[in-house]
Amino acid sequence: MVYYLITCRSLTYAQKAARALERAGITAHIMRTPKGLSKEGCSYSVKVSEQRGPLALRILKDVDARISRVYLQYPTGEYREVPI
Amino acid sequence: MIYLDAAATTLQKPSAVSRAVCRALREQTSPGRGGHSASMKAADVVWQCREIAARFFSVKAPEQIVFTMNATHGLNVAIKSLVGPGDRVVVSSFEHNSVIRPLHRVGADLIVARSPLFDAPAAVAAYEAQITPETKLVVLNHASNVFGYVLPAMEIARICKARGVAFLLDASQSAGALPIDATALGADFIAMPGHKGLYGPQGTGLLICKHTPTTTLIEGGTGSDATRREMPDHLPDRLEAGTPNMPGINGLLAGLRFVERRQAQILQHERALTQRLIEGLRQLPNMQLYAAQDSNFQIGVLSLNLAGIDCETIAAALDEQGVAVRAGLHCAPLAHESAGTLEIGTVRISVSAFNTSREVDAFLRILEKIGKNLRKSERNLH
Repeated sequence: MVYYLITCRSLTYAQKAARALERAGITAHIMRTPKGLSKEGCSYSVKVSEQRGPLALRILKDVDARISRVYLQYPTGEYREVPI
Repeated sequence: MIYLDAAATTLQKPSAVSRAVCRALREQTSPGRGGHSASMKAADVVWQCREIAARFFSVKAPEQIVFTMNATHGLNVAIKSLVGPGDRVVVSSFEHNSVIRPLHRVGADLIVARSPLFDAPAAVAAYEAQITPETKLVVLNHASNVFGYVLPAMEIARICKARGVAFLLDASQSAGALPIDATALGADFIAMPGHKGLYGPQGTGLLICKHTPTTTLIEGGTGSDATRREMPDHLPDRLEAGTPNMPGINGLLAGLRFVERRQAQILQHERALTQRLIEGLRQLPNMQLYAAQDSNFQIGVLSLNLAGIDCETIAAALDEQGVAVRAGLHCAPLAHESAGTLEIGTVRISVSAFNTSREVDAFLRILEKIGKNLRKSERNLH
């Protein structure tokens, strides 16, 4: 499975993003951002399925969720940044 | 015990509060400090508490809710982020030392908008007269912790908005007891404790922030932006350094849920008890009662004296009979000065959702007896 990993500035913003997605019927899981991706230090990300990723990003445009970066997470453990 | 000191701390809490505190100790660690289930459980509670507080106080976004240790902590954050030495700050004549002392510490030019007790139009006029183009901040005690006097927050907020002056509301006594709409008020900050009208544990408080403050009161770990030496520039992290009080926040969440479901009933209940108190106290001899004519200007807090008897003597005698009240100056000498009770202090009676009319009646009987006994012993001494 491929996932979208939406990294946020803080846990609170990750929670805010996840709540907004859940309200829209998108399953969202909060997790620690992998160290290699969290350039400002520790942070939290919201993980959604690849299918729901583009819709999730559209929804979060209207939410002040302080998104830092967005990545595609591959089953191989690789990440590719998605321009936002 | 008949507990009539809710203005200090509500002693009786919903049973869900102590259960939540215990659950936190058993099951949760610290939010933002890991990805394991104990940390994420804590994170979920913190988020729920922010969300319910944002809804309850009509705050636009949950991140504008900052957890503090108490109202004093929140007031210090607000004052020290807005005020510097020599800045003109206008306050009411019913402020608590939690406002006066931080303002004194920063060297503010403290201007008291003086007005008599229970005279809301005079309070508005006093603020109107004292707010000048140089005014940096206006502070208002929403409800006096000594007299229960409800000050006209919305009117004073409107003046601040019209004149472009920052506004800080001290909601120590009103949070939970009166409806507060942060968006309608437009206050820059609203500070409140968790352990009074929100029925949370001691050591909890909320600071509602309209903006992210430029300065911070304390700095430290936040679980975010760890590579930066500066505190994060976003709320709530900017103002929440260090491990949060998870037992407290769990209890506060339970308290908020309790109050959110029944705020109108609590207000009605406390007003009914207060009116019963007022009517009963007015029948007692030598009573000096400080009460509003219009109950809309009073929450469940009121002050009294028995002529010629020291207020602390009355409180001690009540304690001997199993009644808990607070006497003295209540950390609010300015309020006592405004009411003319600075020299003698007052006995303060304050009720909560858990008091009953039977308790009020028992208190009145006990106070009447105490008044007679103390007067008798005074006569014997002379």
